[in-house]
Amino acid sequence: MRQQRRRYKALALLIFFFFLILALYGAYSVFHNGNRWFASLRNPRVRTQKANVVAGDVLDRNGLVLASTDAEGTRVYQDSAEDRSSVVHILGDPQGQIANAVETFQSGYLYGFQASLLERIQDLMGNRERKGDQVQLTIDARLHTEIVRAFGRYEKTRNHNGAAVVLNYRTGELLAEVSLPSFDPDAMTEELTEDPGKPFWNRATQSLYPPGSTFKIVTAASALGNLKGADQETFLCTGELGIGEHVIHDFGLARHGEMTLSQAFMASCNQIYAQLALRLGDTQLRKTAENFGWNENFLFRDLVVENSRYPVRAGRSNYEVAASGFGQSAIVATPMHMCLVSAAVANGGTMMEPVVVRRVTGPDGRLRKGLESRTYRQAIRLTEAETLAQYMKDTVTMGTATACRISGAVTGGKTGTADSNVNGVPVSYGWFTGYMEGDVPIAVCVLVEDLDDGDSGGNTAAVIAADIFRYALKYPERLTEGGK
Amino acid sequence: MSRRRKASGKGMAGSVALFFFLAFMLLYLRDMKQEGLMLAIGVPVCTYLCTQVLGRIFHVDALLLSLTNFLCGLGILVLYTTRPTLAYHQVIYYGAGMAGMIGCIYVVRIFTSFRHLIWAIILLSLGLLALPFIGGREINGAWNWVFMGGVSFQPSEFVKISLLLVTAFFMNRRRMLPWLFFAVSCLVLLMFQRDLGTALLYYFTTLFLYYASSANLFVTGIGLAGAAGAAVMGYRMFAHVRKRVAIWLNPFADYEAGGYQIVQGLMALASGGLVGVGLGLGSPTAIPVYETDFIFAVICEQFGLIFGLCVLMIYAAIVWRGTTIAMAARTGFHGLLAMGASLMLGLQTFVIIGGVIKLIPLTGVTLPFVSSGGSSLVSSMCLTGLIQGVASVNEDQWEADEQLTMF
Repeated sequence: MRQQRRRYKALALLIFFFFLILALYGAYSVFHNGNRWFASLRNPRVRTQKANVVAGDVLDRNGLVLASTDAEGTRVYQDSAEDRSSVVHILGDPQGQIANAVETFQSGYLYGFQASLLERIQDLMGNRERKGDQVQLTIDARLHTEIVRAFGRYEKTRNHNGAAVVLNYRTGELLAEVSLPSFDPDAMTEELTEDPGKPFWNRATQSLYPPGSTFKIVTAASALGNLKGADQETFLCTGELGIGEHVIHDFGLARHGEMTLSQAFMASCNQIYAQLALRLGDTQLRKTAENFGWNENFLFRDLVVENSRYPVRAGRSNYEVAASGFGQSAIVATPMHMCLVSAAVANGGTMMEPVVVRRVTGPDGRLRKGLESRTYRQAIRLTEAETLAQYMKDTVTMGTATACRISGAVTGGKTGTADSNVNGVPVSYGWFTGYMEGDVPIAVCVLVEDLDDGDSGGNTAAVIAADIFRYALKYPERLTEGGK
Repeated sequence: MSRRRKASGKGMAGSVALFFFLAFMLLYLRDMKQEGLMLAIGVPVCTYLCTQVLGRIFHVDALLLSLTNFLCGLGILVLYTTRPTLAYHQVIYYGAGMAGMIGCIYVVRIFTSFRHLIWAIILLSLGLLALPFIGGREINGAWNWVFMGGVSFQPSEFVKISLLLVTAFFMNRRRMLPWLFFAVSCLVLLMFQRDLGTALLYYFTTLFLYYASSANLFVTGIGLAGAAGAAVMGYRMFAHVRKRVAIWLNPFADYEAGGYQIVQGLMALASGGLVGVGLGLGSPTAIPVYETDFIFAVICEQFGLIFGLCVLMIYAAIVWRGTTIAMAARTGFHGLLAMGASLMLGLQTFVIIGGVIKLIPLTGVTLPFVSSGGSSLVSSMCLTGLIQGVASVNEDQWEADEQLTMF
């Protein structure tokens, strides 16, 4: 009998253990995914609440009103169509066509779901009209307009689709997130839905592209971390590297000769980076990429970002591994993620979580939530980050990214020209990812789709990035803490 | 000692009554509906009185009874805020459940004198469980309801009681074949009715009880492996099982094809936050089958996650009381019976809440005591009736012992 009693106790403990799992999993998943579930367009609560609550305003970091609600309850955006269109992908549209933009993703605040018990009682007693919270974002709306103008300024990028992301790499604040083509939220038409350019698609966070040579930052980081004395070694580029039946060439069929790791980085030599990838091996390279966030389920609090992928498969062929060294062969990432990579390098290897919300204030002016900067992960060691940063700076001064050299600031970066196939048609993408040192600590990533023949990231994306850096130099107060 | 427990029982019953009085009063003040006022008085009085009256007839466990009453009342309350007619029905079912509970207490007390009836119970139960094949209709993909003469019920809910009586009886006598025959027949019938959730419940309750009675870890392990094997087989063989698993893994991707249930449930959880949107507020009716399978999501939306956690703790407390009573039992039969009922309630709670929060695939079982529906409520009350019956037998024997020592 006593034995039996002990087993009863054990079974009861088993049930308690089950319950404990329920409680822990429930708390964890609501904490992590609660906002995603809530902000879904399928949530009827938001729709009902919209009818009863005056939605709060959305401001940019300098206090510019991006969206407000008029007396009839309709959403009002900025006055100029150009300004409205440039921020539409981060802010959202009245129909909710853009997935996870602020207007839907922050609906918990904008529609007053986060109001405290006391406030709800006060509203009820005073028979007041319920107002949502005011949400101030970390973005600078003028920078958005500036970026869209920069795309239109140059012949090689005009009328090209693309994306640009600007982050403060010390705090993780998102300063700009532009996706092109864009549209005017006040003049939405039926045709937009069927537009082959997919204007509703947020290319900065939803589209996965092969990172191309910008991935060499990761390969170089892996070499610095795993191969002893890699930064002192010299490598040989013969212009052609045969692996099995494949041959790896360089951009413009260049032939670089003997080079150090740093020189190969500046010249963006595919052949040497292919050799490095083979020496590192698939597993080691993948591990470094995973430290940078590849194959990670991005669960940022303010942003929904498509997960970047590095193929996890045993027995990838040598050619595939070699091509991984320069970011081809099924490796994909979003412009947002490539911006985070540069940001991590610039910030001593520490990747900050990107944040979009700067301040939330209740209808009575009470601060509900301030800026919450958080470290996302330590991508690489400080010494490696410093070496890599030097490589990136050298690339700007005398490598492929000279278009980004601007007077008055030290910048670093890496260009890339990635090849891909869209429905059998070869396309190439121009990349730039980099950062600026000094009082305005910004990381920038620009992507230009569908380059013309002979163009590269260095003469397209890097040119746009240079304009962003210049803007930051000219208006540092708009992008840094104080604001206006 | 016995006096002190009664006193705490009173306090408990009092607080339960107060909770429901305030809750229904709030709703009455908002809507000014006559029925609200009736419930505001009726529910607290009923829950309080039944603790007091029942305690005088049998030696029931006051704490267990109060907790049961609280959950039943909570069901009525939440249903009243979503669909009042269901709440009125639920009040009637609660009365029926109370009768069933008292009946079960009697059954436990007199069972040892009528043990030759066990075979009759087996035959009757199997017949009952086969009824849906004759007078049944499909509901939510399962063929487990019976419609007869204007009454509809779910036999598998009531056969739970027989399952526990039969397994406890034969396991205690170390006769494996009879209970194995009964349990396997039940499982086969349930499988054919596609009532996977209940089958799961029957299977694990029996398996755990077998372990408790025999301590045979080897066979128990085989049983667990068999369950895992059956799960894999079921996944390979049946399209509807595969679909359920796919929906569980990514309900958002399969939204149109059936994921909307879980998605809407999760949205309700997220909308509630820590303290809930408030009694009677929110849009819980947006969740499909909010009144049965997803009632936990409704509770969490209105009262918040903290309260949801408290509800889970109340179930844990019920299991704990049941286990204590099982451990105090003098005979193996009574111990296994009380333990089986506790396990059944605990497992059922885990299976449905786990399904709602997307921890495990959703299987359509009800949340004991709370979900709308007569079969579920009455059978849950009957299960506590079994535990209470064992408690009263324990107390009788304890008193007999005391008298013996006095003389």
